[in-house]
Amino acid sequence: MLNVDRRLIKNFDKVTFFLVVLLSVIGIMTIYSATRPLLPTDQPGYHIKQIYWLLIGIAALLLVVSFDYIWLSRFAYPLYAVGVVLLLSVLIMGKTGMGAQRWLNIGRFSFQPSELFRLIFIILISRHFIAIQGKMGLITIVKFFLAFACIPLVILLKQPDLGTSVIILIIFLSLSLAKGLQKKVISLFIILGIISIPFLGNIFWEGLKDYQKNRLVAFMEPEVDPAGIGYHINQSKVAIGAGEFFGKGYLKGTQGPFRFLPEKHTDFIFAVFAEEWGFIGSLLLLLMYLILILRGLDTALKAKDEFGKLLASGVTFMFATYFFINVGMTLGIMPVVGIPLPFMSYGGTALLSNFIAAGVLINVRTRRFELFY
Amino acid sequence: MRKRAIILNTAIIFGFVAVFFRLVDLMILNHGRLSEKAKMQQLKREDIQVRRGTIFDRMGRELGVNLEVESLYCDPESVASPKNTAYALSKVINKKPEAIVAKLSAKGRFVWLERKLRPETTERIRRMDIKGLGFKPDAKRFYPKKMLASHIIGAVGIDNQALEGVELRYDKFLRTPGGKIFISRDAKGRTLSTGVDRESKGSNIVLTIDEALQSIVEKGLDDAMVRWQAAAATAIMMDPFTGEILALANRPAYDANNAMFTQDSERRNRAITDCYEPGSTFKIIVGTAALEEKVVNLDTKFDCSRGEISVGNAVIHDAHRHGVLTFREVIQKSSNVGTIQIGMKLGKERIYKYAKLFGFGEKTGIDLPGEISGWIRPTKKWSAVSPGAIAIGQEVAVTPLQILRAYSAIANGGILVTPHVVSEVRSPDGNSIYSFSAAEDKITISRKTANIFKDILKTVTEEGGTGKSASVEGNPVAGKTGTAQIIDPRTKRYSREKYVSSFVGFVPADEPIIAVVVYEPKGQIYGGVVAAPIFKEIARQSLSYLNVQREDMKGENILVVDRRR
Repeated sequence: MLNVDRRLIKNFDKVTFFLVVLLSVIGIMTIYSATRPLLPTDQPGYHIKQIYWLLIGIAALLLVVSFDYIWLSRFAYPLYAVGVVLLLSVLIMGKTGMGAQRWLNIGRFSFQPSELFRLIFIILISRHFIAIQGKMGLITIVKFFLAFACIPLVILLKQPDLGTSVIILIIFLSLSLAKGLQKKVISLFIILGIISIPFLGNIFWEGLKDYQKNRLVAFMEPEVDPAGIGYHINQSKVAIGAGEFFGKGYLKGTQGPFRFLPEKHTDFIFAVFAEEWGFIGSLLLLLMYLILILRGLDTALKAKDEFGKLLASGVTFMFATYFFINVGMTLGIMPVVGIPLPFMSYGGTALLSNFIAAGVLINVRTRRFELFY
Repeated sequence: MRKRAIILNTAIIFGFVAVFFRLVDLMILNHGRLSEKAKMQQLKREDIQVRRGTIFDRMGRELGVNLEVESLYCDPESVASPKNTAYALSKVINKKPEAIVAKLSAKGRFVWLERKLRPETTERIRRMDIKGLGFKPDAKRFYPKKMLASHIIGAVGIDNQALEGVELRYDKFLRTPGGKIFISRDAKGRTLSTGVDRESKGSNIVLTIDEALQSIVEKGLDDAMVRWQAAAATAIMMDPFTGEILALANRPAYDANNAMFTQDSERRNRAITDCYEPGSTFKIIVGTAALEEKVVNLDTKFDCSRGEISVGNAVIHDAHRHGVLTFREVIQKSSNVGTIQIGMKLGKERIYKYAKLFGFGEKTGIDLPGEISGWIRPTKKWSAVSPGAIAIGQEVAVTPLQILRAYSAIANGGILVTPHVVSEVRSPDGNSIYSFSAAEDKITISRKTANIFKDILKTVTEEGGTGKSASVEGNPVAGKTGTAQIIDPRTKRYSREKYVSSFVGFVPADEPIIAVVVYEPKGQIYGGVVAAPIFKEIARQSLSYLNVQREDMKGENILVVDRRR
């Protein structure tokens, strides 16, 4: 089955591969800096764990690249079933952390099934959309939504994992758009969206947990209570601003290690990076993500078949969504939704999942010249 | 497909442009404000802990130290229920609930509730865990020997501000500037900088006082107060050659640990702040002057058989009738009639000159606050009675310390020393930053005269002298008694009940000189009866402590240890 031939190596998408490895290495360096102790005590081992996950991730990526991605469509259903079961098991016996149940303990590692599920969801949706001829009508899309998106969304909201729910929804919508929607459906969505904002807003608000409400309030008016709910946003802005043009230098940042910045090595890692590397460093980091995403879109365009196109689009949309929500929240231009920065934030499952996703992307690009056998 | 790809690319790039502008906004346009915020978060302003220097006696025993304690404050805005809090606190601190409620509901965000709590109280309040209360480290000035030497050491107030004594006089050395210090901290308020000295220590003071001698003196005074039911008493012990005060005490006295709850009369350092008419102890002025000026010799005879003498329009009596006395006997028996005759021979100008030479009417310059100069009128204001009255120690006002210093000049061969209680000031790191150096010593009388007079003073404590009860076994004592009436403020005349009894003396072998003054003794009035025994007891114990060899045992093999440094 292993199909490692010369052509595969020649066409291997080195740019994407090096980008994600580089981003991960920068991430590990930043995690080290963010968690370094101030008083002479032991450095917590977050960066070591992340290095292990990076190695596992690279191995997984290479493994994924070695198979033709067509196999993914064949395994879409079993994968989906496993994913849903894992999500359910989290609900039943998961570990609670920060007001939500998201983790499963497997041996010494904590495992976050929702991180893997977003990728499975992309595969499943892509697998089904290729069967549809032409642009999708309203009935088709509603049918798909009820069939595949509804169950995981309910489970995720139950955990509650607002971040991944939003991602799943966005992936579904953007893949629908990528597949092609009838103009009237798009118009309907836009009109519905505008009308429902006040109504939905209320229902949405009532359904939120307190901490989620707080985040929204904090986003609207971060200065209201700097020590309370707006604290995350304010502290993040302070850290980024303190970086100034050239940054304080690696291992010179203070807002993270001094614990002024919450979630410093996970959701707010960009703020730690920005404080140390300044405007210049942040700009270079942005460029890396920009190249990654634009190249992903290019991969989708150049894919040899529609399944590849949809896979590449889905993965790229996912990266882009993660990136914009995370960086946007760090910069205070988006509400605080607890999602990590792809490849950089601490978190093993997320890193592994992102490497597999990047593997899919590389797989599609690498095999763009191959014909059907 | 192409069209959709272009739209998506545009959307992505648009998103990046938005992020880019936000970065420009935060990191370039607003970086100053945000950096400042970051800096402010990381700095904690803390008070520098100010600690007064320690006060030691001459042997390095601690007489004034600091106890590390904590003070309780509240932030009235965050106290949830002033009533409940006050009730809970009133059980622990010694304050009424109403008084605590008033403080808990005061304006502002910082109000002291109770200063300098005992550690166990602090612990109890900590365990109550009441919101809005806080502790600040504080230092309590503590005088481990309590009453001992409190008139020298002095006292401080609640904010450790100097109030009295050496604490006040040497405040500029003991005190240290406080201020604020910026310390980096983390978000939980934990201090991160190590090695920052947050304590500022004042310089240490070394007194000339010897704690052991001081307690001998104080015990002597306590005995005097009980024995004579006196209104007050003072005793001073000094090294006559250097002016170092070895002990100085007054009764009534106070415990400097509770200085705020004491009365003025207890805090008064009578040795330097109160003057009295010295009476017979002042006779050394005309005595030494007559010898120095060669107006008399030791055997010049004075007819005292009448027991009284007219001076101006007054008649002055002797306490006991004497016959014809030699100069030596006039001093030994303290005859007023004889002394006045000597005074007449000297004349008022010379009496005044020698009184001034011995430092009367001027401050001794001791390094303690509140000293007064006493007074002696200039001769042009003297009446016809004055030369006689002043000769026997009336119409002048002196402090006990002035008398002691005058007698020191006899003991040391004619030099007027500067009394002082502080020998050295040492910085916290141990360097000497001040040490006493005498101003040019003033010569009063010649060494020869001093030595002759010293021998006369020895006879005072011998058989036939007024100060016999001051004699110490084994060592001769040179000294002089004094008994003076107090002027009754109501009648403006000398009172018949109120006297000041004094004795000033020394062991003429380079040993300390001691003055004892007892105010308003009951039952007995004479210095030889009231003050001399007190002197004796103090002298005996001090000589024993100082390991002074008994003169009658000289040459025998006794281990002699000099305890003085």
